[in-house]
Amino acid sequence: MNRKLLVSVSLVVCLVFAAGPAVAHHGTAGYDMDKAITVSGVVTGFDWSNPHCVIHLDVKTDSGEVQHWLLELASPIHMNRIGWTKNSMKPGDRIVADTYPAKNGAPVGTTGVQYNVLKVVINGTPLPTR
Amino acid sequence: MRDCKGSQEDIPVSTRKAENRIPLIRIVIAVHLALICPVLRAQTTATMPPKMEKASVTTSIPDLSGLWGPMSITPGPITPQAVRSMPEGEVALTWDPSDPMGMRPEQAPMTPWARERFNSARPPFGIHETFENVNDPVQKYCDPPGVTRIYDYPWQFTFIQTPDNVYILYEFTRTWRTVAMNREHPKDPDSTWLGDSIGRYEGDTLVVDTVGFNDKTWLDHVGHPHSDGLHVIERFRRVNPNVLELALTVDDPKAYTKSMTGKKHFMLSTSPMGETICSASEMESFEKEIMDPTTKPRSK
Repeated sequence: MNRKLLVSVSLVVCLVFAAGPAVAHHGTAGYDMDKAITVSGVVTGFDWSNPHCVIHLDVKTDSGEVQHWLLELASPIHMNRIGWTKNSMKPGDRIVADTYPAKNGAPVGTTGVQYNVLKVVINGTPLPTR
Repeated sequence: MRDCKGSQEDIPVSTRKAENRIPLIRIVIAVHLALICPVLRAQTTATMPPKMEKASVTTSIPDLSGLWGPMSITPGPITPQAVRSMPEGEVALTWDPSDPMGMRPEQAPMTPWARERFNSARPPFGIHETFENVNDPVQKYCDPPGVTRIYDYPWQFTFIQTPDNVYILYEFTRTWRTVAMNREHPKDPDSTWLGDSIGRYEGDTLVVDTVGFNDKTWLDHVGHPHSDGLHVIERFRRVNPNVLELALTVDDPKAYTKSMTGKKHFMLSTSPMGETICSASEMESFEKEIMDPTTKPRSK
């Protein structure tokens, strides 16, 4: 519930799945895979590297505070195979992304593994999902 | 789209040499060997025992060429329900076909020795998955994933078939194996990460027999252990131009009270092999950035 107070731009429970383990180098034990939320803000960085790509973004909270989020994706190879590249986003871009959030409330989420890449919209344009 | 209809199992090598695709295969082999050759040749030359009699060598060679990757599956979360609806071997975290997602890993026929090790495993997948104090040798140390577990990762692999050796190149961690096609196992092989592999062709199937493992790897993603007495038999068969079948037998009397078998299928891929190196520095950075924050209590 704390997250609802913190993330003002958007926090929507958009999916309800009893998700099992993801197939990557690690599982999803740290994430709440029963729901996905939507976060939006401004991209501050994009790590296109192993073991997993990571989106850095700043999200403005209800109180006006800027909260820094990290969204984990699949490996560069797997993201590339569905059509992403290292240039899919850049600092300053507006981002809206679905993610399974950390169970402990940390501003971290998993937005994509090989078989399940959630919605990510950059400057109004959706990136490939699967 | 590859067309390999007309299995080569009945075609003698001498006949196939006259066909157009054989030079192409040789070109591919030559290119691959040119890339990896110095190391491979040095190793195989140094370790190759005297050749066996020709009678033990088959006269036909099935075509296993191509890049083999995970089967295409319906996008979405990998739920136990979803896995049950998939063809056998599409996605699995274990080699137990009755428990592909590792939700009942205790049911494996473990000996007390193996069960003690299994109970101390803190795996990243399955019913006991955790983010905290994970002791998965791949995740924690970038250790090689081992011969059975490497097929649980959703990356590609390919074969380079030569008369004396078959090389299997794996995209994940850029691991490669040598399968000697014309010798027996050493009487007392060293214990190694990938073991000592020998191979033969049985009709349309490449049979790879491997012993001489260390006991540091896991059989699968959920932490099933094995001993240095592990014996693995892999049977690779191209069931159609686009699908490769791997039937695997695991025998390890110290760890399991009976042999275990499993099967996976892989799809011909058009994506080039990419770079998936397990870098300790990248792993450490990822752990600190992503995994640590999700496992620490949050201050109010």
